[in-house]
Amino acid sequence: MHSIVADYNYWIYILLMMIGLYAMLAKNNLIKKVIGMSIFQTAIIIFYVSIGAKEHATIPIIAHGHGAVEAAIDVAHYANPLVHVLMLTAIVVSVGTLGVALAICLAIHRKYNSLEEDEIQEQLQ
Amino acid sequence: MIWQLDLSVLTLIVICAFATIMVKDLLSAAIIFGAYSFLMCLLWTEMGAVDVAFTEASVGAGVSTVLFFAAVYQTSRKVGARKSGRLLSKAFALIAALLTGLVLVIAEADFPGFANPFTPASLHLSPYYITQTLHDTNVPNMVTSVLADYRGFDTMFETAVIFTAGLAVIAILRRFKKEDRHDLPEPYVISEGYPDTIIRFVARQLVPFIQLFALYVVAHGHHSPGGGFQGGVILGASFILLAISFDFKIVLGIMSERWNVLLGNIGVLIYAGIGFLCLLLGANFLDYSMLSKVLPATDKIMARSHGMLGIEIGVAIAVMAIVISIYLNIVSHGKYDKGL
Repeated sequence: MHSIVADYNYWIYILLMMIGLYAMLAKNNLIKKVIGMSIFQTAIIIFYVSIGAKEHATIPIIAHGHGAVEAAIDVAHYANPLVHVLMLTAIVVSVGTLGVALAICLAIHRKYNSLEEDEIQEQLQ
Repeated sequence: MIWQLDLSVLTLIVICAFATIMVKDLLSAAIIFGAYSFLMCLLWTEMGAVDVAFTEASVGAGVSTVLFFAAVYQTSRKVGARKSGRLLSKAFALIAALLTGLVLVIAEADFPGFANPFTPASLHLSPYYITQTLHDTNVPNMVTSVLADYRGFDTMFETAVIFTAGLAVIAILRRFKKEDRHDLPEPYVISEGYPDTIIRFVARQLVPFIQLFALYVVAHGHHSPGGGFQGGVILGASFILLAISFDFKIVLGIMSERWNVLLGNIGVLIYAGIGFLCLLLGANFLDYSMLSKVLPATDKIMARSHGMLGIEIGVAIAVMAIVISIYLNIVSHGKYDKGL
């Protein structure tokens, strides 16, 4: 049981990455491709956050202030904050890329009046 | 970490991912994708990444879904009928995806064990951040101190990336001249749309509280999950809520296009300006400890804490303006006349 749990996060990240890649390659609709790109991004975020997770660790905020006991800080007691920082900014950047991708979709729709890949290619030829 | 929750949430995530790819209606796909993001947010919380969860809740489940809606509103809702001759390309895509999966599965054997506190990623750099953040900066939330202080350069250019994305959306979509707009198709009608008193009343009452909460998130990011990115996105979302429940014009009245672009600039400028101020005071770029010379009654440690607050405010202003700007451009197709 423990080995399944240990690797489950990694299996799921691989599966999500495959779903995202398949959607980006195979889907005919451009918005579906954008959704596939977003799924691909979240798969990478799962991978990073899984690396930073620690067993029996708490959130990376130190208890302090009134009534908190001053104790030596145990590194294994807090989740890895570095991957959280990297992924936090990655999520915010992903909304930027999503905005630009949708804007390009809209611009394509303005010119070709379609979001289907094959119809656009027919008009291009 | 509760592995039962982990397993069930991950299974639901995969189901949602399949559903959002397979469903034929783009609006349904957007909604399922929102649910997918929300499950992700549960997963981050469960793994102890509260700041990431907060960002995912505001960005992924909130703004992304609205952006998809806006794009569907301006284009079309239905996915086109399947045509023959696409089977081959689908097979190729499937093979490519399976090959990628195969390579990753082989690599997976060498991955460090999940939830092991002694993996290489957790041994070299991050112990310094965990043990020294309170001593160096007096900020108990390590994510904020790493984001805004130890890796301040990184975050500054990330803010610049957001700003550039906003500029790109304006450059692609915005139509200033009247004659440019003639060829634009009429927006797709999702529903007839009527002024719903209950929704309008609730939205109007909620917006001030949402904005107050956003300011709290920005100001209290040192001690609790949150910070400039999350607070900025929530501020932007409050304006988007106004634009959806009331009228496009109301938001334009408060946050005109000129103000949006100006505030995006100002936000990045605050960030870089604080960096240059440190440079002028004789320290390295973004080394806030020197700010104790100009801030009253602060030692070098508190100055770093206050410097972080300053740049978080800059990030919040920039992100808010850019999120509003992206939404307004996509939902009106760059015409700024009417929205959802």
